[in-house]
Amino acid sequence: MVKISDKCYVHLNGKAIGYVSNPQAYVKEVRTARRKGLISGEVNVVYMEKLNEIHINTDRGRARKPYIIVEEGKSRFTKELAEKLEKKEIDFAYLIRSGIVEFLDAEEEENAVVAMTESEVNGDTTHLEVDPVSIFGFTVNTAPYPEANNVARHLMFASYIKQAQGLYATNFNLRFESRAYILFYPQAPLVSTSTYEALKLSRHASGQNFVVALSTFYGYNMQDAVVLNKAAVDRGLARSMFYKTYSDEERRYPGGQKDVFKIPPATTEGYLGEHAYSKLSDDGVIEPEMQVEEGDVLIGKVAPPRFLEESIGAGGLEEKTRDDSTTLKPGEGGVVDDVIFTESPGATRIVKVRVRSLRIPEAGDKFGSRHGQKGVVALIVPHEDMPFTENGVVPDLLLNPHGIPSRMTFGHLLETLAGKASAMKGTRTDGTAFTQTGSDRLDEYGKIIEAHGFDKYGEEVLYDGVTGRPFKAKLFTGVVYYNRLHHMVSNKMQVRSRGTVQILTHQPTEGKARLGGLRFGEMERDVLVAYGASLLLKERMLDQSDKATVLICKECGSIGYRDYAKRINICPLCNSNNLVEVEISYAFKLLLDEIKSLHIRPQVGIEE
Amino acid sequence: MAKQESKYGVQAGEPVGVIAAQSVGEPGTQMVLRTFHFAGIAASIATSGLPRIIELLDAKKTPSTPISKIYLNESSKKSFAKADEVAKKISEIEMRSITRRIVEDFSKGKILVMLNAQAMQAADLTAGHAAARLKKDLGLDAKVGKHGNIVIGTHTKNLKEVRAIAVKLTKSIVNGIEGAGRAMVAQDQKTQEFYVESAGSNIEPMMEIDGVDSSRIYTNDIFEMYRVFGIEAARTTLALELKKTLEEQEISVNERHIALIADAMTSSGTIQSIGRHGLVGKKESVFARAAFEETVKHLINAAAFGQIDYMRGVTENILVGKQIPLGTGSVKLSIKREEGKKKK
Repeated sequence: MVKISDKCYVHLNGKAIGYVSNPQAYVKEVRTARRKGLISGEVNVVYMEKLNEIHINTDRGRARKPYIIVEEGKSRFTKELAEKLEKKEIDFAYLIRSGIVEFLDAEEEENAVVAMTESEVNGDTTHLEVDPVSIFGFTVNTAPYPEANNVARHLMFASYIKQAQGLYATNFNLRFESRAYILFYPQAPLVSTSTYEALKLSRHASGQNFVVALSTFYGYNMQDAVVLNKAAVDRGLARSMFYKTYSDEERRYPGGQKDVFKIPPATTEGYLGEHAYSKLSDDGVIEPEMQVEEGDVLIGKVAPPRFLEESIGAGGLEEKTRDDSTTLKPGEGGVVDDVIFTESPGATRIVKVRVRSLRIPEAGDKFGSRHGQKGVVALIVPHEDMPFTENGVVPDLLLNPHGIPSRMTFGHLLETLAGKASAMKGTRTDGTAFTQTGSDRLDEYGKIIEAHGFDKYGEEVLYDGVTGRPFKAKLFTGVVYYNRLHHMVSNKMQVRSRGTVQILTHQPTEGKARLGGLRFGEMERDVLVAYGASLLLKERMLDQSDKATVLICKECGSIGYRDYAKRINICPLCNSNNLVEVEISYAFKLLLDEIKSLHIRPQVGIEE
Repeated sequence: MAKQESKYGVQAGEPVGVIAAQSVGEPGTQMVLRTFHFAGIAASIATSGLPRIIELLDAKKTPSTPISKIYLNESSKKSFAKADEVAKKISEIEMRSITRRIVEDFSKGKILVMLNAQAMQAADLTAGHAAARLKKDLGLDAKVGKHGNIVIGTHTKNLKEVRAIAVKLTKSIVNGIEGAGRAMVAQDQKTQEFYVESAGSNIEPMMEIDGVDSSRIYTNDIFEMYRVFGIEAARTTLALELKKTLEEQEISVNERHIALIADAMTSSGTIQSIGRHGLVGKKESVFARAAFEETVKHLINAAAFGQIDYMRGVTENILVGKQIPLGTGSVKLSIKREEGKKKK
């Protein structure tokens, strides 16, 4: 008889299906059967000692990872097998089939004792990592020396690399991506990793090898800012092209009406003026290689009126139309790259216009290395003002050394040194995780650099380009692979002094697309209140926002109006002519109106 | 006017409230992530950080972890033994924590309470002591029976009544002061004096105990301070608690900002929370209240009762677009009309 406490419940995909009295033996049996191929290799089983429960998982959606099976202190993946694999006599699938490699899910990993390397294997070991780098993911493994960096920086790198500009596809000139960025001179990184090579990422690289000096520059690279060399930028460093696609469709409407691509006639409602359509060809669409700027129409289109009455009304023979052209928004511009006509499944015509524009690095553009170190260009310095080395080498980028210690991105420094060694030797360096110890790497790169007559720690005397004097300290210089990220000022910059307001509230609009202002919010308001700057506050909240002048009746406190024909002010409620002009916010007027709509009569008292 | 200003160091029209709010609010944003630190002695498990600040500003009726400090008078504070004696008198022990089983004998109308010897020993209690306390508190006929059990005669054989007494028993207290929690002797780091710290708060009966210095007794329950000592004591306690909580988080805020908040919360003579049920909800201006929370409620009430907004606050003046009556806006310039008219 089995006591309740001795029962070990077995859960299949989270559902209890029975119990066993000897869990260890049971779990072992399941695993043996799986390795022999008697049951599916996708079954994972775990014995949870603390709960005294067995979980068997066969459902979908579990992340699983391959491990080499180790038995009695011996790896099942023998030297003979390794040789056969090398000769391609066997493949990975064979290893899985023959019970040499198995996949574990997150739960079964709890039961495993995994050795990182073969030398770590002992009597307790149950599995061996296929490769130590597999403790990182694919993205992290494309960066060199991930084992030398802080984890948080890995996560940051993984998100930056997705924003890097490069050669995302070699047929980019045939594609109509809504937004695309193509780097002019993509380079394979000097310091690469096995994962990077296996993924063949150098075929569509997304960065360039920058000569970097860890140096300040008259305060222009404080707080993660970077300084670029003007000469390098002029030679095409990080230069890229920005492609944007605009598209439109000739939609059909119920009632047989249809949109038409054409240059809208002047009678069209919402006509933008002859000048706006001047670049369109006869078919109503712009031609390739045409220079375009903000406000220009790319696709001319006329649409039927929004409401039925409009087309019937007025009694005219000519059918009224509405302009629905596609226009370049403020701040946009460039050259029309290509235009295509296609058809939708509903047999309506579609036009796609791709506009390209050059993006030369400028102050405000964002760059990042492969160690989660990002920075915004603050200054582009003329070549002659940049610091230079004894040999006349001028760095492409100046990185502030204060950004290194607190972030603990030691990998960045290792890459700087390895990049320098690679550049001197003329070969690429492998920076795969765990292949060498940090000090071995330092020695190796140091020796190469020393052999070429430089300081083995990568430090060099730099001369200030402005004064010509050498800096007191030697500066760490080397080569680092940098990505140009797609956040660029020219796509984001916006200014406004005055402009459009919202119809409802008469307050300025919000957002770049609507040429809006920046919100002066509640907390900003509190700051002015705390400072006691009452007039500045009034200017912000009223004069530069929704100032409205209304006439208020002195007799009854309601809002009146001016009769311009009779030249008198009238209160419609009490017929009094005793009204005063008062400046209030339109929002308050709106509030009074809304209260009135609830059949409540607000009255405004005037004090003089 | 000039004399008054130099006396106080703050100029007339200075928005001290907004400055206080910002001065506490800004470092407060850094607090959120740094709660739930140090494990340690029972006393330090008290709610701290942002949850405690919220508790204080919301004027919660009871703190989630009440703690009281009972200081002793001259004759008792030097001796650990005397302090421990006081602690024993305070330390609350519930019946259920020392009983093993309660057996009701309905035929005889008796209740047999079987005690847990281990728990009794740990609490330093005897069956006689417990029985005496039950007799005193509940007026029951409690005696010590065989095997150190307590036998209670109920003088009734009514099933319901016996059961009711048994239920009452489990909830009753055999030692200490109700609500006082566990009390322990602690030593002041500076003065080396002994005092009693308890994980509960019921200071009124505590003050009656021999050896307690009732003028120095302290609890972190602001409402209890208010009930026992009055609004001024509540204000001081509130300010002290706020200050202590901020200091624990290594946030330095000038005392005056905290004092102002405590002043504002207690200025009406009772403790008001900061929020729609308290200070903000009692603002004079309809617009200011409507702009904060429950817009419709305030507007409807204003309409129903024909309320007038005198436009004396900040919010309502910004709403309509007037200059605010603070800072540079607190000064008014007026011209005597009569003189102007005379010249005409």
